[in-house]
Amino acid sequence: MAEQAIVRPTFAVRYRKILLGGFAVILFFAAWQAIFLFVPFNPLFISKPSLIAAGLVDLVDSGDLFHDLAVSAVPFFIGLAAAVIVGVPLGIVMGWRPRVGYALDPLMTVFYASPLVALAPLLVIFFGVGVSGKAVIVFVLSVFPFIFNAHAGVRAVDRLLINVVRSLGGGEWDLYRKVIFPSVLPYIVAGSRIAVGRALIAVLVGEFFAASEGIGYAISRFGDIFALDRMFGCILVVMAIAVVLTEGIRWAERAAFPWRAGQ
Amino acid sequence: MAETQTLDARVAALGGAGAAPRRSLWRRIEPAAWGAGSFVVLLLVWQFVPYFVPLKPGTRLFFTVPSRVAATLWQMIVSGSLWAPLGVSATAFATGLAIAIVVGLPLGILIGRSSLLNAMFDPFITAFNATPRLVFLPLLMLWLGIGLWSKVAIVFIGALFPLLINTYEGVRAADKLLINVVRSFGANEWDIARLVVVPNALPFIVVGLRLAIGRAVLGVVVSEFFGSQEGLGVVMVRAASGFQVDVVFAGLIVFAGLSLLMTGLVKLLEDRMTRWRPGHVNAQ
Repeated sequence: MAEQAIVRPTFAVRYRKILLGGFAVILFFAAWQAIFLFVPFNPLFISKPSLIAAGLVDLVDSGDLFHDLAVSAVPFFIGLAAAVIVGVPLGIVMGWRPRVGYALDPLMTVFYASPLVALAPLLVIFFGVGVSGKAVIVFVLSVFPFIFNAHAGVRAVDRLLINVVRSLGGGEWDLYRKVIFPSVLPYIVAGSRIAVGRALIAVLVGEFFAASEGIGYAISRFGDIFALDRMFGCILVVMAIAVVLTEGIRWAERAAFPWRAGQ
Repeated sequence: MAETQTLDARVAALGGAGAAPRRSLWRRIEPAAWGAGSFVVLLLVWQFVPYFVPLKPGTRLFFTVPSRVAATLWQMIVSGSLWAPLGVSATAFATGLAIAIVVGLPLGILIGRSSLLNAMFDPFITAFNATPRLVFLPLLMLWLGIGLWSKVAIVFIGALFPLLINTYEGVRAADKLLINVVRSFGANEWDIARLVVVPNALPFIVVGLRLAIGRAVLGVVVSEFFGSQEGLGVVMVRAASGFQVDVVFAGLIVFAGLSLLMTGLVKLLEDRMTRWRPGHVNAQ
């Protein structure tokens, strides 16, 4: 780092990683496109970037893509919001009240470690194939990262700050508002990154099971009718959304809590 | 936490032999007692809900109690109806995880040692790691058919990335000084890997393995829900659509139990390997 400050690196050196990464991505798609010139693949089983791009343009033009995305987004956000509303307070109380922590920690660990997605068929049948069924699956899968990270965050709170607030006459509520919540926030944001990944799984599970619209439904339907170009298009869209969400949260973490960089 | 406990112990020791030992025993078992108590309370409440809450007939169809789940599980074990599907699921799990280890470790070491490969692979690793692997299931079913190999593929891509990323982090964390020392004694890249990089990365790899096991179990369950004819996941889906809720829970318990058992064993290994390092692994 110190050397960098003295000798200003050239453009190529500074952006080496991004340039090489971008180059690799372009190379990948170019090779994918080019391989069809040499190997006659069955178009029923594989598609090529030019066709995928055309398929995506079609989906965007007809409005189907945005319709499906909007349909999937509703349970995604409802489920996540419910997970925050339930998970964060629960985790904070578990961290702040040792006995609540003792009582609930093993239980939550077991739930978190078990493949709760196995309950999806039951939840779909019980809550229906619409928004509520999917939202419940999203909630069940994404609540635990919030609980565990809020819990860990409270346990990492600086005892000195607590004593300062107490000795200045602060009550329980002041402690939560002035000390605990601000120091737990970075942990919650880190937890939300994990939760978002699990919520995406939940939406897809819900829509693969039984749905008549939504991006997960679109992917499995295009697979069923061998519309590989559109299927790949939707898969790439899901990948892009997943990357934007998780990397976006990572970026927000670095920007908002720079002292935690690298954790 | 550790500090306050030793402090308490010291205070107890200073306080004499009176009430102190009893109190410290309670202190030691208190977390476990609360933990066990909450399990018991949960099970009791669940068991006795139907006696206190009048369930509608529609809801009753979806309801079961712990005793019935336990009886069903026991019956599945005794009658042998559990083992065949479990064997199918376990085969997919083990094959996928094994391939992920065979591919992930060398690739992780390569990417960790070469900054060129690192830069070129990074966008792909980031993209695949962020994406729920489930999104590839319909495609994999088209390519590999409904059966073992599409499941293996889902398990593989689920388990690969935790292993790959942790191996790579472990390799990157290797002491540069040690590498330079062996290199100046004439070691080639293979020796460096064998003597410095791999031993150093091992604790990271074990953490990766633990995460990979969790992802692999998830992969088996999910792929059996959608693209399979046999396996424990299939048994569960069929039971769910036949309203045999106790079978669904029994399957969940089996999956959860095996998952906890395996991650627990790896965790023991992990603690063993990291006990001697002061500031140990915290990857992912």
